[in-house]
Amino acid sequence: MNILGPIGRWWSNPWRKPRVLAAVTWLYLAWAIVPVIVAIQFSFNKGRSRSTWQGFSTRWYWGDPNRSVWHDATLHNALGNSIKLALLTMAICAPLGVAMAIGLTRWRGYGQKPANMLMLVPLVTPEIVFASALYLCFTTMFTAIQLGSTAQLLGHVTLSLSTVVIVVRGRLLTLGRDFEDAAQDLGATPMQALRTIIMPLLSPAIFASLMVVFATSIDDFVVSQFLSADASSETVPMKIYNSFRGTQTPAVNALATIMLAVTLLAILFAMAGLKLWRRHNGTTGSVVEDFAGLDV
Amino acid sequence: MADRRETTGRRSYDRREFLRHSATTALLLGGGATLLSACGSDSKDPVSTSQGGPSGNAKCGEPPKLSRPNNPATLPLCADPIKDGLDPESGTLKIFNYADYLDPETVKTFEKEYKVKVELTTFANINEAVDKLQSGAANFDLINMSPDRLGTLAAAGLIQPLNKTYIANLSNVWASLQDPFYDKGSQYTIPYTIYTTGIGYRTDKVDPSDAPPTVADATDMLFNRKHKGYAFVLDDDREALSMALLRLGFTDVNTEDPAIIAKAGTELQRMVGAVNIKISGQGYTKLPEGQAWVHQTWSGDMINAVYNLPEDLGPEVLGYWFQPDGKGLIQSDSWTIGRKAAKPVLAHRFLNFILDETNARTNIGFTGYQQPLTAITPETLIEDGVIPENLLTAVVREQDFVNGYEELQLSPKGKKIWEDEWAKFTSGAGS
Amino acid sequence: MEHRRPRWLWPTLALPGTAWLVLLFAIPFYGVVSIASGYDDPLFGAREPEWNPLHWNADSFREVWRGLESGVFGQPFVRTCTYVVLAMALCFIIGFPVAYYVARFAGKRRGLMLALLLAPFWISYLMRMLAWVNLLQQDGYVNDILAALHITSGPINWLDARWYTIVLGLVYGYVPFFILPLFASLDRIDTRLLEASKDLGVGTIRTFIHVTLPSARQGILAATAITALPMFGDYYTNQLLSSSPRTNMIGNQIQSAVQSPTSRGVGAALVLSLTLFLTILMGYYLYASNAATKDVR
Repeated sequence: MNILGPIGRWWSNPWRKPRVLAAVTWLYLAWAIVPVIVAIQFSFNKGRSRSTWQGFSTRWYWGDPNRSVWHDATLHNALGNSIKLALLTMAICAPLGVAMAIGLTRWRGYGQKPANMLMLVPLVTPEIVFASALYLCFTTMFTAIQLGSTAQLLGHVTLSLSTVVIVVRGRLLTLGRDFEDAAQDLGATPMQALRTIIMPLLSPAIFASLMVVFATSIDDFVVSQFLSADASSETVPMKIYNSFRGTQTPAVNALATIMLAVTLLAILFAMAGLKLWRRHNGTTGSVVEDFAGLDV
Repeated sequence: MADRRETTGRRSYDRREFLRHSATTALLLGGGATLLSACGSDSKDPVSTSQGGPSGNAKCGEPPKLSRPNNPATLPLCADPIKDGLDPESGTLKIFNYADYLDPETVKTFEKEYKVKVELTTFANINEAVDKLQSGAANFDLINMSPDRLGTLAAAGLIQPLNKTYIANLSNVWASLQDPFYDKGSQYTIPYTIYTTGIGYRTDKVDPSDAPPTVADATDMLFNRKHKGYAFVLDDDREALSMALLRLGFTDVNTEDPAIIAKAGTELQRMVGAVNIKISGQGYTKLPEGQAWVHQTWSGDMINAVYNLPEDLGPEVLGYWFQPDGKGLIQSDSWTIGRKAAKPVLAHRFLNFILDETNARTNIGFTGYQQPLTAITPETLIEDGVIPENLLTAVVREQDFVNGYEELQLSPKGKKIWEDEWAKFTSGAGS
Repeated sequence: MEHRRPRWLWPTLALPGTAWLVLLFAIPFYGVVSIASGYDDPLFGAREPEWNPLHWNADSFREVWRGLESGVFGQPFVRTCTYVVLAMALCFIIGFPVAYYVARFAGKRRGLMLALLLAPFWISYLMRMLAWVNLLQQDGYVNDILAALHITSGPINWLDARWYTIVLGLVYGYVPFFILPLFASLDRIDTRLLEASKDLGVGTIRTFIHVTLPSARQGILAATAITALPMFGDYYTNQLLSSSPRTNMIGNQIQSAVQSPTSRGVGAALVLSLTLFLTILMGYYLYASNAATKDVR
């Protein structure tokens, strides 16, 4: 060891400060975040370049009479479509997923295993496989469902359902059955036990999973693209992608920035709401932790 | 289940309609098995009854004959046109088109005039467009279509015949395109644009010794290692492969001979090794922004490129090469109305609107694509400053259609050979 | 003590979700098989589905097989595998230290770091790619910085079909999804185990190999599965960062085949072939994940 000198000693000391790890982590975070900040910067560019800074302006937000987000209907419609799609996906995924999680965790017997497998497969299926399957299916088999927002909604729910199940199930497994048993000892029916005891305990997990659903839906490009019929069902990611196949201006950066702001605001509100709810109900914990602790 | 021979080949909207109803019923009944059996059993197809056109050589639901300039095709009438003298609908007119291929200002004028909204859906290449129409994925009022795909769309009943009493301005069009070979009697289409396919390049980025007029064949620039990373071909199987065919001395750009097409494919593959060739349909932004130095491109996109130049560059940095003897690729595009158009009358009004001289001039000022109206001569466009002096090579004249090579309709089998060869190129196999 | 739990309650709760997945996940795959095994219509040469298995036709599968041999599909497939393996290696090299550090040493900055780790999750993948395309332009910031530091003489064309640009793009896009599950599982490791190991004088690296890695096995597996498998279907990253045949991935071939009338059947067969290949990888994950769930119970 001594041959290596002070560096060797420092390296082999198990209690040393993890400076290398810290450096890697901060470098990674910078790498992850800085490009996005640059993209935001260029949404305020005066000229139409997306790589050379030509001065600050809000031209691409509302200044430009044709191509700004405010004036170009296709841009702000895409924003509306994305948000609507994400909210509806959450609204359908929540009851479906929570019920499925409880059912699959408690259900013993024939059918549980295949159902469980079926639930896991979408998580690891490449989106293109899944999207082209739905595309081919909606155009040849379920022709009652026209491509467009409805098809996109069905696709997004299918895509995100398993996330809800997984996250809620993880929480259920850590809770165990003691609470329910106790409630039933005291004379509650299984449904009552579920409603009054289990559901409140599951809330943070449900909330965290819905945030993931929101993120998945609002970020999704492949499924939206395959299942879109025409411009009326274009979403923000599609708009960003399509901008590469036409005249590009910083307006698409502006659109992405607005979308980011909307998402972050929604999350902040949701987090504040959950914090209040927690204080009210006397439970502890951090929302960020809940979310980061999501387990697949 | 019915025999498959009965069910394939007679696809039409009516069959889809039937499927739609049966699938809904099956879903309501909640039975997957019911659904599947419903899909297999098909009733007799009412549309496939023969309704040959005037020349009696085309039938609905059957492969159309291949239209050629010296052997024009009358497309089968598989639906009725709208009645005379109807009022235009209100609401939203849905247009299916390439990106940046219609002037937003001209569209706004139309919106104001008819107090409607226009919704534009874009496609990246024509295969994608035909797929969307064929699969019945969406219904559009107006569809931009290249003539080589028209016959099939008409025979499949996916587009509707026009009522020309609404389109008085059709008389503004070149005589040769008022009754085009691909649609005798203009039953389904009005011509939209005319353009050549050539090579666009940056005169300030490529060495003059590598560019025209020093090089006789500008496609050489797509093989020149100096342009590595900055060379592009069009995202279109036929355009790219046809370019390679001409380069190799084959002038039949409508061949269905696999051996010859394979030679063109090999030629394209050489570009992967030489310059890491890229694929794009946006010469009009890539060239002015400097992401491309050499880009196989359409003449109209080249004019459009001028408007996309950064403030500090003038049009002289752009060059366009088209075979100087006129023996190059030349096409026209057309507008057609979807069979299931929700606003057919409004769509007819739009067709008349876009053939109006003033509107067409404004439109050309944005798209850069000439429209074949007799009043809009290249001279007037140059005078108006739409076409800059150094891009005169991008001008298209009626005469050019005599010398040039048009990409014409292929049989489904032939089309597949072209697409497979294209897939081989895009896969980067052998590089 | 056993409670009366009506046997119907749990299956009933699981039913709607399961039915949804059967209808919109399992049955569509039957549709894909029917299209891959169908017949071409004479008009477009477009593939019509054949619902009756007795009439199925294997032409498309034969074509995929030929394509794998001739390189049309073989080359993009090999390329895809190479990119995914390289990207996963980088994900591991970058993701593991980050997840480990945040889980164990972040201290009072933990909240902030977690929020930053989660940030890319909320920003559209395509926006993040857009950011990179802009940065990597010839006149973009990356070349500006390199020139300012005198590292390069002239601007570099990063978007010139470079494999490492694509691999880095993939890593950039997917690594947040790798870090999160990894973090969750590292966070659960009992620190007393690690301290015991250190107390016994075991070196950092050996502790890592013998204690940390085995305890995080499930997390590593999950992280790998939800990162690597979707990467196999990626087609937009290389389109935005190169759009050259040289970097074409199998997802590009699927996308263009599925959305063209004359190649739809081959597209469907390609989808199924990729699924088959990934099932082998998925199978292990599903098996391991099921086993782990059982352990917890």
